[in-house]
Amino acid sequence: MINKKGTILVENIIFIILNLVFLAILILFLFSHVGGAAVLEEKYAKQIALMMDAAKPGMEIHLNVEDAIEKADDEDWEEKIINVEGNLVSVKLREKGGYSYSFFNDVGVNAYPDTTNNKEYVFIINENE
Amino acid sequence: MRMNKKAKSKIFHYNFFSKNRRGEKVISVYWFAILFIVAAAVVYMVFIFYGQPYDVREIEADMLTSRISDCLSEGGYLIKENLVTDNFLQNCNLNFNTEDSYGWGEQEQYYFKAEVKNFADGVLIFDVAKGNPNLKDFCGKEDSSFPACVETEVYSVDKEGNQYEIKILSVVRKTEKNVN
Repeated sequence: MINKKGTILVENIIFIILNLVFLAILILFLFSHVGGAAVLEEKYAKQIALMMDAAKPGMEIHLNVEDAIEKADDEDWEEKIINVEGNLVSVKLREKGGYSYSFFNDVGVNAYPDTTNNKEYVFIINENE
Repeated sequence: MRMNKKAKSKIFHYNFFSKNRRGEKVISVYWFAILFIVAAAVVYMVFIFYGQPYDVREIEADMLTSRISDCLSEGGYLIKENLVTDNFLQNCNLNFNTEDSYGWGEQEQYYFKAEVKNFADGVLIFDVAKGNPNLKDFCGKEDSSFPACVETEVYSVDKEGNQYEIKILSVVRKTEKNVN
């Protein structure tokens, strides 16, 4: 590797740089899929549906959805990210996306962003009229 | 002799390969081919893993069982007012409507069957079944593409001290949104 003058050959440097570039691309790809909008939409839709199944009238539930809000900001989605209509939960973090999941608990749910904590969503459980 | 010594010294010289670098270039090609294969394998594994949806059907079926159990028995006492087949879903605050995707509007995605028996003599005093009855045929079969079934037995008493056994079977389908 070291020639008579004691300098490192250029080929080895290029080889190491190419390896590092390859690893960086692989890690970027992994992180892009781990925190992907589609995965978050499905995760929160099902999580909230299961929460509603277990909930009873009179409950007030606060759910931390910071990563979903950040993802919606990244996707330039400014509308409400979580909607509960009837017994259907819809989570939408981007314009061309969204995931819905139903729950079997017959309750009325009012979902809105927490005004005191912008990282949370509030769910008020009522009797279904 | 001189030529042999020279040759030997060349063999052990640190710069032995300096004149022939073609071998190194060939090895580099194989190296990057291996890297590409590894990258392809990692990408494939990531797509397989994150392409799988979260399967929450068993949790849902468990919650449905728990909800029905709470509807029939509270604090260990049987709620005889709810032992009515008509309007059982409304009495227990259950709604089996689902989103109208994958043809779910025509095929119900839930099913449950509840039986209340006298513990002493095993006589059935109440039973109710709601939802899609075809789903119970898939219970007992080990396949993730089949509906998720949960069966539970709880025991209850009434104010007279009579003991009852409540058997509940809950089934949740929703295969298209929980299994790839």
